[in-house]
Amino acid sequence: MAPSKGQMQAQRQESRVDWEGALVQRAVAGDTRAFERLYREHSGRVYGLCLRMTKDAQLAEDCTQDTFINAWKALPNFETRSSLGTWLHRIAVNVSLGRRRKATPVLEAQGEDEEGELGGFALETPVEVAELEEAIGNLPDGARDALVLHALYGYSHEEAAQMLGIAPGTCKAQLHRARKLLRERLKLEVN
Amino acid sequence: MPRSIDPPRDLWPQIEAQLGAAGAAAPRRRTAPLRWLAAAAMVGALAVGVWIGRDLMPLPGAAAEVAQQPPANPAGANPGGAAVNAAFVSDPRYARQRAELMGSVQAQLNAMPAPARAKVAASLSAIEAAKKDLESALGKDPSNALLQELLINTYQDEMRVLTDVHEAGNAGRGI
Repeated sequence: MAPSKGQMQAQRQESRVDWEGALVQRAVAGDTRAFERLYREHSGRVYGLCLRMTKDAQLAEDCTQDTFINAWKALPNFETRSSLGTWLHRIAVNVSLGRRRKATPVLEAQGEDEEGELGGFALETPVEVAELEEAIGNLPDGARDALVLHALYGYSHEEAAQMLGIAPGTCKAQLHRARKLLRERLKLEVN
Repeated sequence: MPRSIDPPRDLWPQIEAQLGAAGAAAPRRRTAPLRWLAAAAMVGALAVGVWIGRDLMPLPGAAAEVAQQPPANPAGANPGGAAVNAAFVSDPRYARQRAELMGSVQAQLNAMPAPARAKVAASLSAIEAAKKDLESALGKDPSNALLQELLINTYQDEMRVLTDVHEAGNAGRGI
């Protein structure tokens, strides 16, 4: 009997984890070639996250570099049972927040209301990806962070909040704010 | 929207350069598992115990059973750690000195009273077990500097115990 689609997906995921775990072990032993392969595998997602958080291509490159250098240093502490991608994202978020704080030391006000629907991210009218990227890029930092981590990268409110160093309630409020602002801005552009 | 966006240029060369410059040794800072530290501590304590005990024990009496000793070439004890061992014990001077000590210590152990002999046997047995554990761990993590250091210390502890037994026997003091 042929394996189901779900089983095949699970097998692929498992072999990927095994492969990644082996590379991590080699990297921990000092093998930079193994670490390069991990970089090649994850650099796109790390750079994408950094770019969306910093809104600056050059800064995002710096953050991506710092993320992998920090990861190399901390790799012996990485638990191979957890996801390397998630671990790298946590580092990337920390690096991006740190860089952003240096660039703009004024803290954004937080703690808005938590009302409203906070589920999936959906727009009423179709828009181009570039428009959406631009609109997300123009969101306030806190709202954008929450939206990117939760709606785009699929982290839960708790995970996103932990990465950002804020309370889950604040993360939900920021997401609500992001969705509201995004709707308004995209509607205005369409109209 | 894509989650993954490729960087506009390859960032790896710069990352690699920084790994080599600043953090190449970072992965070797791995914390050794507590059991290795515990094993090393136990070996150290037993070695100290033998050292102290040699002054307190009575003169050796009748011959008795001899403690089981590790093979002359400890590298053969653990195939996984052979490469690691080779780095430390392939020196022929070490092998020769160890073989000589083992030969003379054997006779001295035979002449010891049972309690002293048991103490030395326990020390050597603990050292042997620690060596095997460390070699096994190094087989999985060959570049772990702390494990390497512990293994060297363990070999040194073994030599210290053997030397002490040898010297005590020659001085006629017993262990």
